[in-house]
Amino acid sequence: MTKILENGNEMWEIGGKTLSSRLLIGSALYPSPASMEQAIRVSGAQIVTVALRRQAAGEGGGNHYWNIIKEMGLSVLPNTAGCHSAKEAITTAQMAREVFGTNWIKLEVIGDQYNLQPDPYETLKAAEVLVKEGFEVFPYTTDDLVVAKRLVDAGCRILMPWGSPIGSGKGLMNPYNLRAIREAFPDLTLIVDAGIGKPSHAVLAMEMGYDAILLNSAIALSHDPVRMAEAFRYAVEAGRAGYEAGMMPEREFASPSTPTVGTPFWHQNK
Amino acid sequence: MIEVSINGEIRALDGEMTLSQMLDILGYRRDQGFAVAVNMVFVAIDKYDTTTIKEGDAIDILAPVQGG
Repeated sequence: MTKILENGNEMWEIGGKTLSSRLLIGSALYPSPASMEQAIRVSGAQIVTVALRRQAAGEGGGNHYWNIIKEMGLSVLPNTAGCHSAKEAITTAQMAREVFGTNWIKLEVIGDQYNLQPDPYETLKAAEVLVKEGFEVFPYTTDDLVVAKRLVDAGCRILMPWGSPIGSGKGLMNPYNLRAIREAFPDLTLIVDAGIGKPSHAVLAMEMGYDAILLNSAIALSHDPVRMAEAFRYAVEAGRAGYEAGMMPEREFASPSTPTVGTPFWHQNK
Repeated sequence: MIEVSINGEIRALDGEMTLSQMLDILGYRRDQGFAVAVNMVFVAIDKYDTTTIKEGDAIDILAPVQGG
């Protein structure tokens, strides 16, 4: 039976886990570890993205940000950020599985350094291998429907099309394409990842029926990350509630909302 | 002596050795929480004792950080 949350929204499932929050949050770019921790808590997110980077010997205490995330006890979604080929991404994913103890991987293979657009060919190649190796692949992709189809054919059960380029804050550049992907895969878990700049962008994506939003910069780079985390929490909840409630059809002409029967000062024309 | 690349920096080692020995010499403790790739191929932790580091190998040692 579907569990209804206090806010009226339903619980949902992703990668074998049942969650209440539909906001996935990044852990980078915060002004301080404390602001990251507080923002994550206030956002209500239950999945936090993390990464792997070269470590020098003697850094036994580990990365301070990571230590805090670990203590929070949330689900982590490691990424392959910075990879430019399937081979790099596959190796990074295998390393992440050992370090983080999860088969989840946010597959990110960049094809263009200027706009950080994902490389569809290398992403697909990596996805095919990783799915066979038992990973739950969260592929970061463009809003191209055919690429989405190929990733599903490769065994991906989740797709993460971009709203717009990473860190641009431009919102949903191509709502038509995002809607087409939603309509093509009504039962697939779809997450808008990248490009979200303000809460209204998240509302739009959720109203389209996207299952969740993944974002980082919009919260971390705001003037008040904790307050913005709260704003996004409400935005995602509001968008989802709107989608579940079902929107009224748009009309070309005005239609009064107040009853017309009994309108005062009305007289039949003589 | 052999020369290898460790996290992108050229380092001299006394000779060929296991990955396990190399990590000990460099001061990496197993409880630090890291993963290793040799020549861009992942080496699982249970293979450290049987993986030999040779001249020209490129070793990457990665650990968790914040990410988006």
